[in-house]
Amino acid sequence: MSWWKPRSHEDVIFYPGRQETEEYVYTPGIHGKQFAEALIKGKILGMKCGDKFIVPPTTFCPDFSEGELVEVDTEWTVQYYTEVYRDLYGNQLEEPVVMILVQPLGWEGGLIHYLKPGIKPEIGLRVRPVFKPEEERRGTIDDILYWEPY
Amino acid sequence: MRSNIHVKDKVAIVGAGITLFRRRLLETPRELAWEAAKMALDNAGLTLKDIDCVVIGTAPDAFDGIHLNGEYLADGSGGFSKPTVRVYVGGGTGVMVPIAAWWHVASGHCKTVLAVAEEKMSPAHPHPQGVFAYIWDPILERPLGPNLIWIFAMEMRRYMHKCDAKKEDIALVSVKNKRNALDNPVAQAAANITVEDVLSSELLVWPVNRLDISPVSDGAAALVLASENMARRVTDSPVWVEGIGFTLDNTHWYNRELGFPRYVNYAARLAYKMAGIERPWKEIDVAEPYDPFDYKELHHIEGLMLARPCEAPRLLKEGWFNRSGELPTSPSGGLLGVGNPIAAAGLMKVAELFWQLRYEAGARQVKKPVHRGVAQAWGDLMQAGTVIVLGN
Repeated sequence: MSWWKPRSHEDVIFYPGRQETEEYVYTPGIHGKQFAEALIKGKILGMKCGDKFIVPPTTFCPDFSEGELVEVDTEWTVQYYTEVYRDLYGNQLEEPVVMILVQPLGWEGGLIHYLKPGIKPEIGLRVRPVFKPEEERRGTIDDILYWEPY
Repeated sequence: MRSNIHVKDKVAIVGAGITLFRRRLLETPRELAWEAAKMALDNAGLTLKDIDCVVIGTAPDAFDGIHLNGEYLADGSGGFSKPTVRVYVGGGTGVMVPIAAWWHVASGHCKTVLAVAEEKMSPAHPHPQGVFAYIWDPILERPLGPNLIWIFAMEMRRYMHKCDAKKEDIALVSVKNKRNALDNPVAQAAANITVEDVLSSELLVWPVNRLDISPVSDGAAALVLASENMARRVTDSPVWVEGIGFTLDNTHWYNRELGFPRYVNYAARLAYKMAGIERPWKEIDVAEPYDPFDYKELHHIEGLMLARPCEAPRLLKEGWFNRSGELPTSPSGGLLGVGNPIAAAGLMKVAELFWQLRYEAGARQVKKPVHRGVAQAWGDLMQAGTVIVLGN
């Protein structure tokens, strides 16, 4: 952590704290499980709530009814974007990373992800997901490498 | 004698919901919250549109492994675009949730409140006990490597010494609650066991054996609370919140009498005063004292003044606290039998009273007629007491 500068240790007694929870193992949830399985197949699932379509699927709709899983079958566009110059720990990145929020046309919600390196972002840009090779996919959101315009 | 508390509205519970309690559930925390909340709304005959405010309860973020867990749970709890608040007093949270919901309605601020408690303890590895490492004083205590079971073992030993209670007497709580839980469809640790099974289970921290302790669980519970007008509109059998009380005792666990839970006693006195109860041991028909450890139920029965200090083990042996007894305690199966998803476990106790007082508890319904019940939870480093008195 680059911003943290240690003080003199000589006049301080340290009481070290050790994190006893070594890791967290999360469960994907009901829709989340199917969302993950679909990612491995190279598909993105959303859910239908009455006449609304929402992505990502969360099992329950905003009105508390149960959502119905459907595949996103429409084109995606960039809604918001930003450019990242430093990583989580404050280190300078070699190339800025473009983070985007993509939303299927006419849908609610969206996904946060990366734009393909070297592409100039703009709002409304039509993009499609580029997946990792099938054997490397694990059912997590980084099964998608980035989004590219087409 | 009723206390001089001015309330704008009487408050009733009109619906309850609960999920399965299990060691590890597929559902995400917000899906668990949604399942319980939806069940409570359906039970009350209301929809999310009818809800004015939302109260969420969940114990340390470090269990679910999600910081700002209250906000994370908000959509599953129906809290978006509504006045929503999360309350947190450690293990006492489960009963603090309906208490907070009570003041939302009693103040006149909201007519209907959805109160949701959720806990998912399974994500933290290797064991959720590690999460408790950071409740200790970093200078005086943490370097010694204490965990929760250590101090409760000490408290249990103190209680045994003070009351001359034997391990066999205390193990009966585990036997009773796990047996009660056999009738509870959501229970995780229901079993027909004997005192011998408890005594011969693995010794963890003397005098605490494995079957003296409630399990690690995932789960959620929810209630719908409403003002008097609203409650009478939606149900013929509202369950009234007659009294609430909460207290925080000294944070330092070493300079008080561990043999008697003062934090519960003070909270109980507040709740009884509000409910106009002068002789709780006679006026309370059914109780859900907090029982993460078996001795804790006896401890809390005494703190709630349902038995004299040190009298609970004898009454237990006589069957006083059985479902068919004079004063049934933990008819749900308690934390020992149903499971202990911390905040959800406390709210499960209040939900059980709701079902008992509406005679809807099915096979768990206590034998005697019921008019009033008390539920209680306790939290933090043994110092937070939360008590609620319900009546039909």
